[in-house]
Amino acid sequence: MILQHFEDQESGIMNAIKKNPESASPRKKLALETARLGKRLYSNADDLVWAGPLVPFDLLNAMEVTPCFAEFIASILVSTDAGPLFFENAEQAGYASDTCGYHRMLMGSALKGMIPTPKLLISAMSPCTGGLAAMENLARVFKKDLFILHIPQKESDHGVRILANHIRNMAESVSSHTGKVLDKDRLRKAMENTNKTRDILSNIYKLAQQVPSPVNGRDLSNFGIVLPLFFGTEVGIEIAQSFYDELKSRIKANRSGVPGERIRLMWLQNRIQFKNNLVKMLEKEFNASIVIDELNVITWDPIDPEDPYIGLARRSISSPLNGTVERRVKQIVKLAEAYKIDGAINPCHWGCRQGTGARGLIDSSMKEIGVPVLNLEVDCVDPRNFAEGQLITRIEAFMEMIESRPSPW
Amino acid sequence: MYYLGIDIGSLTCDAVLIDDSEKILASSVVPTGARNREAITRAADEVLRSACISEKEVTATVSTGYGRKRVEGRLTAVTEITCHARGIKALLPGTRLLIDIGGQDSKAIELDENGQVVDFAMNDKCAAGTGRFLEAMARALQVDIEVMSELDNGARGDLTISSMCTVFAESEVVSLIAEGLKVNEIVHGLNRSIASRTLSLIKRIIPDIAGFPIAMSGGVARNSGVVRAISNAMKSKVVIPPMPDTIGALGAALIARERYSHN
Amino acid sequence: MKDKSKLIGFTCAYTPLALIDAAGFAPYRILPMGDSPDQAGHILHENLCPHVKRVLDRGMQDDIPELSGIVFMNSCDTMRRLNDAWQKVRPNDNTLLVDLPVSNDPGSVSFFAEELALLTDTLSQWSGNNITPERIENSIGRYNELAMHLNELKKRVDNGTLKDGSLRLQTIYNKAATEPIKDVMEMIKQMIDETNELSDGGLPVYLFGNVLPDPEAFVLFESCGARIVSEDLCTGSRMTHSIETDKSSDVFKRLANGLLSRTACARTVDPINPGKMALDVVERANACNARGVIGHTVKFCDPYLARMPSVRDALKKEGISFLLLEGDCTMRSIGQHKTRIEAFIEMLR
Repeated sequence: MILQHFEDQESGIMNAIKKNPESASPRKKLALETARLGKRLYSNADDLVWAGPLVPFDLLNAMEVTPCFAEFIASILVSTDAGPLFFENAEQAGYASDTCGYHRMLMGSALKGMIPTPKLLISAMSPCTGGLAAMENLARVFKKDLFILHIPQKESDHGVRILANHIRNMAESVSSHTGKVLDKDRLRKAMENTNKTRDILSNIYKLAQQVPSPVNGRDLSNFGIVLPLFFGTEVGIEIAQSFYDELKSRIKANRSGVPGERIRLMWLQNRIQFKNNLVKMLEKEFNASIVIDELNVITWDPIDPEDPYIGLARRSISSPLNGTVERRVKQIVKLAEAYKIDGAINPCHWGCRQGTGARGLIDSSMKEIGVPVLNLEVDCVDPRNFAEGQLITRIEAFMEMIESRPSPW
Repeated sequence: MYYLGIDIGSLTCDAVLIDDSEKILASSVVPTGARNREAITRAADEVLRSACISEKEVTATVSTGYGRKRVEGRLTAVTEITCHARGIKALLPGTRLLIDIGGQDSKAIELDENGQVVDFAMNDKCAAGTGRFLEAMARALQVDIEVMSELDNGARGDLTISSMCTVFAESEVVSLIAEGLKVNEIVHGLNRSIASRTLSLIKRIIPDIAGFPIAMSGGVARNSGVVRAISNAMKSKVVIPPMPDTIGALGAALIARERYSHN
Repeated sequence: MKDKSKLIGFTCAYTPLALIDAAGFAPYRILPMGDSPDQAGHILHENLCPHVKRVLDRGMQDDIPELSGIVFMNSCDTMRRLNDAWQKVRPNDNTLLVDLPVSNDPGSVSFFAEELALLTDTLSQWSGNNITPERIENSIGRYNELAMHLNELKKRVDNGTLKDGSLRLQTIYNKAATEPIKDVMEMIKQMIDETNELSDGGLPVYLFGNVLPDPEAFVLFESCGARIVSEDLCTGSRMTHSIETDKSSDVFKRLANGLLSRTACARTVDPINPGKMALDVVERANACNARGVIGHTVKFCDPYLARMPSVRDALKKEGISFLLLEGDCTMRSIGQHKTRIEAFIEMLR
């Protein structure tokens, strides 16, 4: 059923582009490659590894092992018709509705046999304890081994060294579970690809900072969190390049992402993964654009292709999903300044302790630089309790407030 | 020239009519019921009739409240947060914190010295501590909602209602009655739990409320028991404007005047 | 340093108390008790573990003794956020967040050992004392002795030969977490010497979970007809455990290994045996001949919430009845469960 979903999606996009080549867009390109990845996951043809979002996927790609992180598949499953069913399934099996929707979705679908069986599961304590627990539960359900990557919280030399070693062990474990070896040349090539993608991404983000911004509120949603799945591959470079080209051509044509952009917003944490009208409403009624998502950021240096482990370790440790709130807030404030935002929206994903737990601390730091934050109460994955009307009132009131005050910049 | 503000809330639909000098000519409160449109017409008709003004003479209408987009012929729709802030600025200038507890949600709104909204928080998506919550509790206690506001008189006041979920609180209240507790103690307990809920909403935006001029609007502001409990919990005086349930509609009417002359 | 406080605050049962002791400090656990007003939710978020929120409430209300520093453990998301929030509400306190791996594989043990060495340096700065290996060994010895005595006491409580056993044991656990070790040891010895007194009936129940420090909770269980014959809580028996004393291996590695290998909180995982916690619960319930199992966890605790379905399944397979209670660290929340506990015991009789 899910395989069919991906096949339909792939052929649908290809047909649309064939019929009307003009309609090809970077967003379609990303959707196409995501569908292809989904197809590979569900066709049982490849060696799969389920991994947490901070695991170096480029290393797995270099081994020709298909990586996938739990939250990614959960966000896809929620858009299928069976989505609500999977939640009910998880809750009936005892997975409390107080927990993160991504993980509930994952357990509900795994219990229904709707998640492909991996060769190995890799998890880390970051971003969250709940995610690690979900991976442990999946390992139990699949009766597969679990490899735990300990990602230190602090950026210290001894932490980087230990993680680098641990990543090496991880590669060995993947090898012994899949029979795939880590070829030195392929690893080097993958790292070069990662670096190329990184450069393009950093250029994309620079373009997005322009006033008015060439991006609309939808172009780069989920971008910074999904693209790493393609790190180390040619496809990753192609996707990034198509976004760069599109933004460049919009700037050339003097076209802003949201026509007549008046309000610039930051979206914190993660996006709402099911269909909703909030972003469109922001564009249409307030000429407001989400110009930056918190996770669309590069916090790491290029990786040395000759000795990648240290660089990979630094990258995982530097993620905004790891470490103290102090570090996360510093990053958010930096983005707020770089993108000259008028306000930030924090969905406060229900059941997320690590991210939502920082709500008050983010608020007070943003207040210091004069940027208001709107805190919503949303389960970003579970649409069953979605109160769109009430959210629209909050967002509209927030926009009215922003309109009535001078810009912080 | 006349300006009409209409606030379509979950429990009541309110209308306020003002003239060019911002003078309130008439106001009305009617139950919203199941049909928004009927309630809107009735509320508007009532103010027009009591001010002896025909519909055609209304220069501009601004709507607010959760049904704001259902008002036909409006100049614009504005959220109740902005409208309540605008209304209170007119009646109680200098207010820095406005608590608005309506039928289905409660809000804490922080205002700057010019009466502009600088921050706000709304309750999580449930009826806890709102007008609907009080209605349900009045039902459980079998008392009239109108008399409930004085029912806490003489309560010793050490009872706490721990469930803030309307459904659970209702059964808690029923079992307290079964245990033989006096109604005034239970009402006092309910008021206290609403107050603590409201306080936590306020603290989200203003950690230290000492010295803040505080006002309260919305239908629940007419419940003096709740107001007393809130003001005790905050250790601050809470000022109630005249006709607190029509502040949103008043704000909408004022915004109608501003926007019309601006355009 | 004489005029400074001799106490170091801590909030998690994974804290290496022997190192605090070796620095010349007494560890003081900020237990989620007292009646500080509810404020932590505004700094963090309401949907967070009430254990952490109440600890932060105490900090915000200044309802804690003067401390020379606080050691936080990175045991779970919420503990990490507690560390973050503490900096905000009490910026003048000395604090340290010690990273805590989730498993006891060799790599994690060496990493944790380095973190403990770092903690030792920090404690040494806070105290002005040089923490020599001898001092650490001595402290390990002292805490091993405490663990041994507490274990003996626990056995008597489990066997039901101590009057008001579980209530008094919990009182001792709380003292051991907040008072100098010498005083606590004296009290334990006196209790161990008391004559046997069989407690009256009560159905044998195994209790596991996380935070339940209020001794009154144990009175409640007993008043409902349950006798706790073994307990596995982070405010109870998980707080102490013995550390190897073989001096031929590195002391930090021994401490690290001891902590990561002790009876696990749900946040610690055995990657070789995913889902092991469920099997552990069954094993321990059987070992103490419990007729039923009560799980008590604080709300919004992800590590426990995620494992409860497998615990429930495993117990069901064994034919052991299970009651899961969720609380918020107040007696009020536990009191609300009275009817359920009574019904559970009636069902088992």
